[in-house]
Amino acid sequence: MHRVGGQLVRGVKAQQKRSLSAALPPKKVNKVEVFIDGKSLLVDPGMTILQACALVGVDIPRFCYHDRLSIAGNCRMCLVEVEKSVKPVASCAMPVMNGMKVKTNSDFVRKAREGVMEFMLNNHPLDCPICDQGGECDLQDQAVAFGSDRGRLQSRYDGKRALEDKNIGPLVKTVMTRCIQCTRCVRFANEVAAFPDFGTTGRGQDLQIGTYVEKFFASELSGNIIDICPVGALTSKQYAFTARPWETRKTESVDVMDGTGSNIVLSHRTGELLRVIPKINDDINEEWIGDQSRFAVDGLKVQRLLAPMIRGADGQLKPASWEEALFTVAAKLRETPAEQKAAVAGGLNDVESLIALKDLFNRFNSENVMTEEEFPETSGGSDLRSNYVFNDGIASVESADAILLVGTNPRFEAPTLNARIRKSFLYSDVQIGVIGAETELTYEYDYLGASAKAIDDILAGKGDFAKTLSSAATPLIIVGSQALKGESGAVLLGKLQQLAEKLGNGKQVKVLNVLQRWAGQTGAQDIGYKAGTSSIRKTPIKFLYLLGADEGKVTKANLDPSAFVVYQGHHGDAGAEMADVILPGAAYTEKEGTYVNTEGRSQRAYPAVSPPGEARVDWKIIRAVSEVAGKALPYSDLKEIRQRLNEIAPHLLRYRDLEPSPFVKQALQLAQTSGSIDVDVSPALRELSDYYQTNVISRNSRSMAQAKKAAIENKTNPYAEEPTYARL
Amino acid sequence: MLRAGASRCLVVGNSTLRCLSTGKDNLPVTRSHDAKKMELNDILEKPSTKVPVKVSSDETMDIGGVPLQHQDARTARIFRPARETPQSAWANTKSWTIELDNRQRWENPLIGWSGTADPLSNVGMNMKFATKEDAIAFCEKNRWEFDVEEPHERKIKPKNYGQNFSWNRRTRIGTK
Amino acid sequence: MSLTSNMMLQASRLGGIVTKRGGATGLMVHRDTKENNLNVKFKFTPENEDRIKAICAIYPEGHKAGALIPLLDLAQRQHGWLPISAMHEVARILEVPRMRAYEVATFYTMFNRQPVGKYFLQVCATTPCMLRGAETITETIEKKLGIHAGETTKDGLFTLAEVECLGACVNAPMIQINDDYFEDLTPKDVHEILDDLKAGRKPAAGPRSGRLAAEPFGELTSLKETPPGPGFGLQAALK
Repeated sequence: MHRVGGQLVRGVKAQQKRSLSAALPPKKVNKVEVFIDGKSLLVDPGMTILQACALVGVDIPRFCYHDRLSIAGNCRMCLVEVEKSVKPVASCAMPVMNGMKVKTNSDFVRKAREGVMEFMLNNHPLDCPICDQGGECDLQDQAVAFGSDRGRLQSRYDGKRALEDKNIGPLVKTVMTRCIQCTRCVRFANEVAAFPDFGTTGRGQDLQIGTYVEKFFASELSGNIIDICPVGALTSKQYAFTARPWETRKTESVDVMDGTGSNIVLSHRTGELLRVIPKINDDINEEWIGDQSRFAVDGLKVQRLLAPMIRGADGQLKPASWEEALFTVAAKLRETPAEQKAAVAGGLNDVESLIALKDLFNRFNSENVMTEEEFPETSGGSDLRSNYVFNDGIASVESADAILLVGTNPRFEAPTLNARIRKSFLYSDVQIGVIGAETELTYEYDYLGASAKAIDDILAGKGDFAKTLSSAATPLIIVGSQALKGESGAVLLGKLQQLAEKLGNGKQVKVLNVLQRWAGQTGAQDIGYKAGTSSIRKTPIKFLYLLGADEGKVTKANLDPSAFVVYQGHHGDAGAEMADVILPGAAYTEKEGTYVNTEGRSQRAYPAVSPPGEARVDWKIIRAVSEVAGKALPYSDLKEIRQRLNEIAPHLLRYRDLEPSPFVKQALQLAQTSGSIDVDVSPALRELSDYYQTNVISRNSRSMAQAKKAAIENKTNPYAEEPTYARL
Repeated sequence: MLRAGASRCLVVGNSTLRCLSTGKDNLPVTRSHDAKKMELNDILEKPSTKVPVKVSSDETMDIGGVPLQHQDARTARIFRPARETPQSAWANTKSWTIELDNRQRWENPLIGWSGTADPLSNVGMNMKFATKEDAIAFCEKNRWEFDVEEPHERKIKPKNYGQNFSWNRRTRIGTK
Repeated sequence: MSLTSNMMLQASRLGGIVTKRGGATGLMVHRDTKENNLNVKFKFTPENEDRIKAICAIYPEGHKAGALIPLLDLAQRQHGWLPISAMHEVARILEVPRMRAYEVATFYTMFNRQPVGKYFLQVCATTPCMLRGAETITETIEKKLGIHAGETTKDGLFTLAEVECLGACVNAPMIQINDDYFEDLTPKDVHEILDDLKAGRKPAAGPRSGRLAAEPFGELTSLKETPPGPGFGLQAALK
């Protein structure tokens, strides 16, 4: 039995068939009428008063209630008056009833809330001036709005409750004295992050939140407890004592740490990026972001490429002027024959710079532009978009009733997607099967082996999970992009297409979904980059242009000995090391750009700060190279380059919404379905310590390094529970 | 305008004021109780009626004093800010706002304050629009290009306290 | 004496009582000590294994977590107190995360998460007992055993704790020794009880005043007449 979800589930399984359908509410239900402050409103039955109020835009004050967590009902701040009820009612837990008349702002309610607030503040320290939550604190705001100007408790004898701070790792700072015991973090840890070691110990005055035994908050989503904490008990260690929210500017943007393109808000002040918090988007990341997305931004301040560099005769890279660097690159670009040129793009690029690079190479008669990440090029490959995107959309996992994960560990490749699968697991009894590594996901699953040949069995209808899949109304297959490489990857994709066709016949879902690992990959494939660097090894390359390619897929050994390497990117890492000329580019927080997430949803990132030093926005650098090289690209501002994008891939400019990818049937006709797929498709990221440093930004991040260290040390902590893998 | 030689003490909200000048020879009085009460309107000049000056959209920016390099090619982003996740209230998400493309900022090396050459950098912080159309009109008036971003509306799904105790669902996990 | 120092003195006095009272329950976090760490091995005895089976049989499938309290109690009875490895063992048997066992064990004051002596003396010090001389009882024990509340004698026989109401107010003052209540105590009774325990004898539990239970001393003061039969006080029409 897997520890997450506990032993309850076996009971569920046993009783599922006969009872579950009976326990679910009937499909057709009449709405009930409630009156919120005199306004009539029709709502679904089973909704709480607080939710009904939210529908009409009435914000009920709350501490323990959180939209995405279960209802606790312990803070009592959400008290409202319900007509004919003698006592105030906790609106977060009270279901609406027909004809209910709710008053949210009467004297009675205000008095009740004032009383609750007085109790809340009895034990809350007056350390707002040194508290990081100050200025964005629910308790502060609600004390002003609903609290009294004085409390009656004379804490003369025993003082206020004081607690020791907990050490739960290098990311989250705790000041437990400030805790008001709303238990949001406990519920988050248990429900969303599946870290059951977080709980409450003691009772009454002695009650405290924590792990009882000191241990690391071992979760890839741990940073979110900072956001959900309504007071300053849980704050960010990275952001500690840095800024007040009213001093910062906020730019809503897009994250590039994984393929999901989580929406984020960048807080910055005086041209310095201070922190990242999630932006709510129910279609993608709900309200969470992974720890890498949140904390890796300190990597943007170190190891940056600040000025153009040219490798001198002594083999040392020396700073140079932009002019020198551009002329050097342009000269080499001009003199190298077309077939000896190649460009490799990494995974963090925006579509604008990718299209500029591709256009530049096309001007010089080269089609040799590729991405570091591989994808099968045979069998239709990137020609048909449905082959390489998450067709059904991330939100579809919530309505799925069977999910097959192939060669992916969504927990570390896309933490927010994994949180959604867990949500689905908790609320809708979804059946999950895994082909790949037997890792600790946050839900129970049927393990079908490490080899992809398990798909043959499913296609043949062998095994329990094959039956589950075929009987599912909305089945989903999620395949990790890592599994789709090489010859076997093409066959694997073909077989999965076959399976998807078989399962999805006549259903609303397209079934096959590819989970990309890189934020820039879908966009690159959309505009015609070849996936994978294999063609470099076929012909000797003398001019290589690396656009943020830092994963070391191409090394000097793969090139002609006299090869000239240009690296354009933001960090001095693997790519810059082998470069002859370095052109300093901008990171995702420093440029306006379009990113296409794994669903194929294009989103715009906005610059929060300017590129450091002499670094420049990437597509402008490429534009400058083209100008110097004598074949100027026909666009000189963002609008024009987007016009160019519109010519070749108009869906990239339809921001925000999901663009459906047709031609699933045609893709299947092109698919290569014969061949062996008996390969190990275990994902590379298997444990928490693998998660923290997966790209060039997080590799340079101090806090990510600390977190990785903590995760490794946690493995030897005798009090860390050993995960158990009993399956249903 | 006050008369010459006069000093005054205005009584706010009273619309009369006590003026330390005599009515006859225009000499100042030394004791305040000798001063004569005068109506405010007698002292102030008659207000001229306001005639709206028609400013065509092309002129607005020209007379605004904004340097040319910060007038041209500005792109405004019209959006409704998302709720900030550290807080649970939704009040700040109701109005539309404008954000111009971000220009370079720097820290003053002497006192450490932040500076920018862009006089429009704070437009978004102080302007709220009731509707998207208002924001668009404002951008058009200022000759800014604009992108409108539709907000992600939250979805409210019925939620139930009883789920915590559901006997046959996985929602009953051991928490508070 | 200045006001602040006076307040601090009072606070420290009261603070002393607070810690004494909390002596039985202790910290709400775990720190490895010589007696309580992961190296303390805990395993249920075969008899207790049978008991566990019987206990778990009461709870329906899928609700085994309900057996946390009885199992933790069983572990405490076997080991004398509840070391962290016992909580781990219970969590393992019931297939719940360890934290769930920690939560229950810290919530209930009757689980002793620190070692206690063979005889765990809990003196009730809540109002009725206090009015009837609970403080004298505490003092007597302290003097006789040479320990203060929250401490254990050197021979490991006795641990003293001051606790809140144990629900025997009508027989105040009282102490609870392990599972037994000793009520209507005088200092002399306390001496006798402790001497008996030291000598390995088992003193009789219950009131020491000669009462059987909670009846009044001497004869009854009320309820003396024969109780009226059924239909008493009913209106005539209903008879």
